[in-house]
Amino acid sequence: MPQSPAPRPLGLSHSGPGILAIRRTLAIRRALVPAIVLALGAPLAVAVHSTAAVADETAVDDAAPDDGPAAGTLMLRGQGAAKSLPAVRLGTDMDVTVTGQVASVRVTQAFRNTSDKWMEASYLYPLPQDGAVDSLKMVVGQRVIVGHIEPRAKARETYEAAKASGRKAGLVEQQRPNMFSTMVANVAPGETVLIAIEYQAPVSQANGTFSLRLPLVVGPRYTPPHTLGSAAAVEDAHAVTAPPVLDPALGARLGGGRGDGLNPTSISVHLAPGFEVANLISRYHRINVAGATDNRTVTLADATVPANRDFVLDWRSASADPALGLFAQHTDKGDYVMAAITPPANLDGLPRPPREMVFVIDNSGSMGGDSMEEAKASLIHALGTLRPQDHFNVIRFDDTMTRLFEHSVSATSDQVALATRFAESLQAQGGTEMLPALKAALDDAGTGGGTSPEVLRQIVFLTDGEISNEREMMAAIGDDGGRSHVFMVGIGSAPNDFLMERMSTIGGGVYTHVGAPGEVAAKMMPLLDVLSHPAVRDLSVRVEGGSLDLTPSRLPDVYAGRPLVLVGRSDKLSGTLTVSGNIGGKPWVQRVDLSAALPSPAIEKLWAHRRITDVEADRALGKLEDDRADAEIERIGMEHAIVTRQTSLVAVDETPARPAGARLTREELPINLPAGWDFEALFGQDAVQAAPGQEGTGDLAAMQAQALELPQTATGFLGLIGKGLALLLAGMTGFALLLRRRAA
Amino acid sequence: MNVAILRTAPLWSNRLKEVARGRGLLVILLLGLCLTGLAQIACGLYIPAKAAAAQVLLDRAFDRSRVDHAPRKPWPWADMTPTARLVVPGLGISRIVLDSGSGQALAFGPTLLPGGAALGQAGTAVVAAHRDTHFRFLRDMKKGDLIFVQTREGLERRYRVTGAEVVRWDGYAVADAPLGERLDLVTCFPFDAIRSGPWRYVVHAEAVSR
Repeated sequence: MPQSPAPRPLGLSHSGPGILAIRRTLAIRRALVPAIVLALGAPLAVAVHSTAAVADETAVDDAAPDDGPAAGTLMLRGQGAAKSLPAVRLGTDMDVTVTGQVASVRVTQAFRNTSDKWMEASYLYPLPQDGAVDSLKMVVGQRVIVGHIEPRAKARETYEAAKASGRKAGLVEQQRPNMFSTMVANVAPGETVLIAIEYQAPVSQANGTFSLRLPLVVGPRYTPPHTLGSAAAVEDAHAVTAPPVLDPALGARLGGGRGDGLNPTSISVHLAPGFEVANLISRYHRINVAGATDNRTVTLADATVPANRDFVLDWRSASADPALGLFAQHTDKGDYVMAAITPPANLDGLPRPPREMVFVIDNSGSMGGDSMEEAKASLIHALGTLRPQDHFNVIRFDDTMTRLFEHSVSATSDQVALATRFAESLQAQGGTEMLPALKAALDDAGTGGGTSPEVLRQIVFLTDGEISNEREMMAAIGDDGGRSHVFMVGIGSAPNDFLMERMSTIGGGVYTHVGAPGEVAAKMMPLLDVLSHPAVRDLSVRVEGGSLDLTPSRLPDVYAGRPLVLVGRSDKLSGTLTVSGNIGGKPWVQRVDLSAALPSPAIEKLWAHRRITDVEADRALGKLEDDRADAEIERIGMEHAIVTRQTSLVAVDETPARPAGARLTREELPINLPAGWDFEALFGQDAVQAAPGQEGTGDLAAMQAQALELPQTATGFLGLIGKGLALLLAGMTGFALLLRRRAA
Repeated sequence: MNVAILRTAPLWSNRLKEVARGRGLLVILLLGLCLTGLAQIACGLYIPAKAAAAQVLLDRAFDRSRVDHAPRKPWPWADMTPTARLVVPGLGISRIVLDSGSGQALAFGPTLLPGGAALGQAGTAVVAAHRDTHFRFLRDMKKGDLIFVQTREGLERRYRVTGAEVVRWDGYAVADAPLGERLDLVTCFPFDAIRSGPWRYVVHAEAVSR
């Protein structure tokens, strides 16, 4: 059957002159909908400081005369997609040493200038959200320049001054607890500069499995237009959405068929957890393993991989699951201790009370591709475990939102079947307005058996979390959390773990990551186990025979099989730590002798990082004002020499390098699209189109529109007949003339 | 006049022979001109005739497919099937809508564009047809006019026209599901143009309860 021509990517810039007036008023609001577009087109937003101004700019585009179809102009004007390869190429090496339950990671970024210009490069990359960055070294040729910690603004000044005077400089800033940027200035033509940073992060643990996650790429973020209220907010949004995303087709060419493409990364892990390692699994990458069982060395089988999905390494203990991990560090500033205490995981025989479950699923454009399928499969899996005595609801959101039911309903087979069909029909498109969906989910009508805190109310949130307004989300849970527990399910190859972890912690739930379509069942089962059993109740922590400054200051909810991780500081470590609680009506007590802790070199940094998390939580919950929180974070960052929102590491080579008069070219290094993401869905034809203008269409702000090409619809048969008549007439006239001449 | 020509016909043919003897080439040329003209007129007339005849066959096929709600081909070699009947009572118009948006199908009737929603479902269904055959009546539609749609599946819908606009072929977008059921009728613009251009005329309608 003949097909209509494939749709081409379209911009916002085509409309008939007759409808411009209507379209223009619409455009003021409509232009804000091209969500991800705006997020990725951040320089546009930087240039104009209010959202209305952004819309005006688009409206002007509307009026521009043009001929024929064009590319999605709004997108390509911003950074959006990178259509050419960068002049500065980046290679990354990660060297990880796991001692006990702490991972010490050295990340070396090699910036190679392939052009004949002097370059400045900037690269945005992720680190674990609970990692503390404490060291920066810049290597130029044979020389090593050691970086030092400075308050953020001052570090920026130092860097800019060095850059202007032609000296080499490196700057590491934190944009989010899991998102950092490295800038390096004055890289000579053909030169390579190495930037090595080090960070310390705890190894996570659940149900006896230890897990090391090395995030490799930052997913493109959505910036809700309403958050761009001030110049500072615009700058912040720009910082987290700045890098262009390389078209995977271009990346494949770069790899020359080897497959490592843009930003190749090599990884090696030295695993010495203090016990014999068993079940060593790399979730998403092929690895080689060598060495003794209690001192494994893990390397990538492919030498390098493209930085386009998180590296995850899981292992267990070959003997019984350790219920306790206790590590300490002695410093001049005092003693630091970390204790990971796991409540017993035997759940058989515990009652399974009825509960109300609200599922929230993200179907925004960033979920396009594998992620959407994983999210749907996870939701359908969870729906299948509902019992008739449970209540439930499903909410989906992109830049619009739909509640399947007004309030939660009983999980009868009909309702579950309806919800399953609803889930199956979801398609990824549009922006990521997460806040309204979260608020709708937190709206507790008590339909699941009253509003008593004894009745479990659980919110299961399936998303990749690619937004830039994380703090709004945490504040919403802090304000309206009530008795609801929020369980985050991170979807895709590189979800925003910072958002997930904090929302879960503030919301009293746990965070689960589903990173590949094949592991939906494997990851959802343990989560659903956790969901069906109450947390440890009446949790309390006491220290006897000594004093301990403990983090987190607010104890999180603890579930069976998941450890409570406490990090404390003391002038002199001694005494006993007692954790007690109530599991399923039975008392549970665990005592820990603090003097028996094993030495570990990174506990101080982890404590400082935890302390900052506490400050951020207080800020999100409105207990601490912005200025005071910032001052406190700066103080902790300076005292413990770690990178925070308020402190950065800067390294300056004192030798001038760039000759006076040579120009410096600046480049934002492109990032890979996270694996499984749909490039077309983000940057292709899905530029959200303006809707046709009409009267009385209700709430246009909530409306989505879809571009559609219209076929040629004229047969032109009248023209054909007219032409035929003209020819016939000409022929007849000719004959008539001929005859008349003959007759004459 | 006709009578006069008929009576002089033998005379004409005699004289034509005379003329042809002298200037063969010119006569052949003129004859060719006349024949081409006739052929083009025939082709031009064939288009509306085909459009009208196809609608009759499609109407029958649609009635049959409404019985068992299954697609029926109007003629054995057709590459499309009728999917709905569109009626504008105010103008005495009835059209059978096809389920394929290809250029060929447009010759036989209005077609449902695959990019839009299905008829009877949330979202905007978009039906396109030629401006000089099936959708010539769009120029006469006014705000408030009613449109009835019966689908093959047995759904019946009533739409009220909310307005019309002119758009470029590549500058058109439709409202998505949250705004409820809508119907857009699309054809080329301007209606009396001889050549085809980039403009399209869109009549917007929204579903109303009966």
